[in-house]
Amino acid sequence: MTRLILARALRGMTIAGMFMLWMTGSPYAQAGDAQAGADVFKSECSECHSAKQGHNKKGPSLFGIVGRAAGSLPDYHYSDALHQAPWTWTTDKLHGYLSQPARKANPGTKMKYSGLDDPKQLEDLISYLDTFH
Amino acid sequence: MAIRVWLGMAMALLLTSHSVHATPAYARQTGSPCADCHAGAYGPALTPYGMRFKLNGYTDTGGKGSSIPAAIQLIGTHTVPTRGNNTTQLTEADLYLAGRITDHIGGYVKVETDNTGNDHFHTKLSNVDVRYVAKELKLGGRDATLGVSINNSPGFEDPIGALPNASNFGPPAISGTLLNPSSPNALATRVIGAVAYGVLDSSWLGAVGTYMAMPRSTLSDVGYRPSDDPGKLSGTGYLRLAYMKEFKHQFFSAGVVALTTKRKLPRNAREDDITDLGYDLTYQFIGNREHILQLSYVNILEQRDYGSTFSAPFAPGLSTKQHVAAHDQTLGLTYTFKQSYGITLAYLKSTGTHDPVRYPPYGDPATTSQLITLFWAPFGKEDSWSPFANLKLAATWFRFTKFNGVRNNIFGVAPGLGVPVTNARDLDQFSISASVAF
Repeated sequence: MTRLILARALRGMTIAGMFMLWMTGSPYAQAGDAQAGADVFKSECSECHSAKQGHNKKGPSLFGIVGRAAGSLPDYHYSDALHQAPWTWTTDKLHGYLSQPARKANPGTKMKYSGLDDPKQLEDLISYLDTFH
Repeated sequence: MAIRVWLGMAMALLLTSHSVHATPAYARQTGSPCADCHAGAYGPALTPYGMRFKLNGYTDTGGKGSSIPAAIQLIGTHTVPTRGNNTTQLTEADLYLAGRITDHIGGYVKVETDNTGNDHFHTKLSNVDVRYVAKELKLGGRDATLGVSINNSPGFEDPIGALPNASNFGPPAISGTLLNPSSPNALATRVIGAVAYGVLDSSWLGAVGTYMAMPRSTLSDVGYRPSDDPGKLSGTGYLRLAYMKEFKHQFFSAGVVALTTKRKLPRNAREDDITDLGYDLTYQFIGNREHILQLSYVNILEQRDYGSTFSAPFAPGLSTKQHVAAHDQTLGLTYTFKQSYGITLAYLKSTGTHDPVRYPPYGDPATTSQLITLFWAPFGKEDSWSPFANLKLAATWFRFTKFNGVRNNIFGVAPGLGVPVTNARDLDQFSISASVAF
């Protein structure tokens, strides 16, 4: 009886885990604290980017960045390198892009960013960005 | 009469010392609120981001095309001097022409109208800084920015903003160095020069340039009186070297500055040989901009070799010294909370060689003063009512602890003449000001 209960519990946990993975589509997404990410955004991004819709600064607005095709805001003048980038900003892509110098991640970009090497802060930041839709 | 002149001079020095400037034209151009470039949302102290904007020749944009490169500032002040009558008046009205002309050319021009008393207004050309800049270069595989600044104040071009002409904040001085805008016959805004500069890896800054005095007729045309004449300059050289290091949440800089010139003052006099050498240190804690701390120290020593000396009318045989020095120091600390509320504390000291003929009545030009300012800048942030228009309310206490080298009886009034004695603290002034910029 006990073995049956344990087996059911394990099966339930496995299904829940698979459901969560399907929901997030990424080992990084939802792992961060969006509230803490707001502070990271202020210190790392806010000089050049706004999270307000339609508000471009030196860099484009990051409203709706998660899920947006790269270089696709119509009212922002991107570098050729980013305008022609073939990717969509998924949480995975943002994780890879922001964890290294921007010029290494996308040679030819105008973005001057040295990268965020604190994994916890990076996850918090991406979770924060994912709240803007 | 002489005492009134001295008091007027002291007040003029004081007003020069805490004039501020803000340019919402840049905010409109970049799409960035004032608080991105300034620690307190109204300015003037620059964040590292603001320093980069200045180094880039005021040309960075938000990519939304052109904006009107102009802004206006109005300042009203209620002044409570220790001596004299309280006044409430519009003290300053400024027009800024500021912003990007092309991708490589940008500028900052301030036309300032001051209330000289009883609502008599006087307009003059204040700071000018027009730049050509080549950005995002590679020199030997390293990131570089090269530029040329045409400006009218030696040191104004400096991005760090600690040098007196860049911060518009120097010690009230009776002698004073050439690099101090509060010195008598200062060079600030009354000369014209070119400075070539370069930045390597966003850290190493070098600038070299030269200046000449504007012709007297031109000085008059742009609003300066004959008594403002900085004299005729020749062989003028300017050098600035600095190391800047920006960490994620902090900024540090250490720099040296030099200015050398031969000056005729008045213009038909013999040449004085003058050299300023100085150094400056700054530190900023920026964090997530909730709490910002800015600390700066500037120390400038000037060596003067006067071309001629003159005798004392009151003591025949006693002459002015030929080889003298002047020394200006400024220590400043500003704490800003949420880029809205702040306090600035500053200690300012100007000293010089003892000279009984040149600096009556005691022969000592030493002046020490302190500034305490509390300010509130409610707008100019991204979530503000208007990120591009701004307001600053400030309460400032400017106090003197030494003038003419002494604390008491600073004008050396002889007892028994019935003339009131003036002490250094009688020059103190409390003021409340409201500044708006749009």
